[in-house]
Amino acid sequence: MSTFAVMRLELRRLFVRPLGWVLGALTLAELAWRFILLLGNFLAMQVRLAALPSAPGFTDMAGVPLLSSLLTGGFIPFGFTELALIVVPLLAMSTLAGERGNGTLPLLFGTGQSATAIVLGKYLALMAWLLLWLALTLAMPLSLAHATHIDWGKLAAATLGMVLLLAALAAIGVACSAFASHPAIAATAGILLVLALCSIQLGAQSAGVNNGLINWLALPTHLEPLLRGLVSTADIVWFVLLTALALALAVRRVAAEKERG
Amino acid sequence: MIAPTPDSSPVLQLEHVSRRRGGRPAVRELDLSLAGGQVLGLLGVNGAGKSTTLSMIAGALRPDGGTIRLDSRDFAEYPELARQRLGWLPERAPLWPELTSSEHLDAHGRLRGLRGTALRQARERIIERLELQPLLRRLAGALSQGQRQRLGLACALLHEPALLVLDEPGNALDPVQTATLRTLIREQAAAGTAVILSTHLLAEVIAVCSRVAILHEGVLHHDGPVAADDHATLERRFFDIAMAGGAQAA
Repeated sequence: MSTFAVMRLELRRLFVRPLGWVLGALTLAELAWRFILLLGNFLAMQVRLAALPSAPGFTDMAGVPLLSSLLTGGFIPFGFTELALIVVPLLAMSTLAGERGNGTLPLLFGTGQSATAIVLGKYLALMAWLLLWLALTLAMPLSLAHATHIDWGKLAAATLGMVLLLAALAAIGVACSAFASHPAIAATAGILLVLALCSIQLGAQSAGVNNGLINWLALPTHLEPLLRGLVSTADIVWFVLLTALALALAVRRVAAEKERG
Repeated sequence: MIAPTPDSSPVLQLEHVSRRRGGRPAVRELDLSLAGGQVLGLLGVNGAGKSTTLSMIAGALRPDGGTIRLDSRDFAEYPELARQRLGWLPERAPLWPELTSSEHLDAHGRLRGLRGTALRQARERIIERLELQPLLRRLAGALSQGQRQRLGLACALLHEPALLVLDEPGNALDPVQTATLRTLIREQAAAGTAVILSTHLLAEVIAVCSRVAILHEGVLHHDGPVAADDHATLERRFFDIAMAGGAQAA
């Protein structure tokens, strides 16, 4: 119950701060613009696509590309994934570093909350906000479900990929906030860390290495198959491990703060 | 739910409690006990270890050594005791600036395990008692220091704790607010709540405390009833301890 009390408090703080609303509004506007461009491109190619035996459909050309530029390359920048790499660390930065700055973290300890309850409560609140953001994004392609054919399996796999991505990014953001003395440092560290996770394999790939540890460590290695509709246990486990590791580090840091003062 | 202990046993017991901070001992081998209805004033100069002691009692800081018992139960083994039996107003009353006073009361109530009707009744009672009605819709970030102290105190008292821990509660209060605070502390004690407050104001101790403990450089130098000390005696005792400690340090 403590976890839910902390979650409710954090959710309230997220919804009354302007940062969440500004980020939500701006990113949804950008995603809507991206969706319109993708849809326009899909409609413009209808004649050519009709001649192909297994032509890509609405889901391949507008639904999933809305979520990531990984598959569309440089066509239009900033899909949901790319925005999440920036938005999640910004939203997570105040979760614990902000409490520390306010002097309210000891107050939470003083109400008998464990480090685990504090970290999990804040993490779940952040996830609730992010899942709402994802739902509003998905509402764009889903709003055309009555007028076009949606590949539900592919969209579900991509959605699963987004949920796992948000879970991992939120955990990293909370961990950075647990370690940083100031929210701005937490946000910077979080953004750099997730960018490193996204680009760690680029050097190896340009040298022709397409397997091995460095590729396994990279985030796109595990996200791309999900965006293509391939759900693999190994990829899910990678995201779960990353999330669990980041949350465990955050819990350890907060518990140590209670010890150290 | 942890049942409270019978009234005869002390609400709070500290046995050989020690804590280092910043590489030096902040509290050394501290022994204290406090029964329901008592008001203990923890007196000391800045850096004497008062806030460290209160943070440990409140469960916000773990002692390096020794035992803290609340209702005869080891705090380390029953951390949930803090939620149910203890109310804490830290120094400078930290609040969430983006939340209203009303949201603070709700959040603290839930964090203390209050739900539904119990939370609503506790809120109504404390709002009336501390006259918080005009502040309810105001953001905590826009409150004056005195109003912040009042809201912080309301949050600490919301769940009717058996032990009330107040860290420098008189800071930044005007004379009227100070008088109100003192009345409130006396009422709490009369209702059976054990109160421990830290201060460096001798007048505050004389006005509200039934006992005084003088802490200097983390060591307890005096623990006795206030009734036996008038202002001059207490002042002399306090300065003797502070100066002797200072001379030793020099």
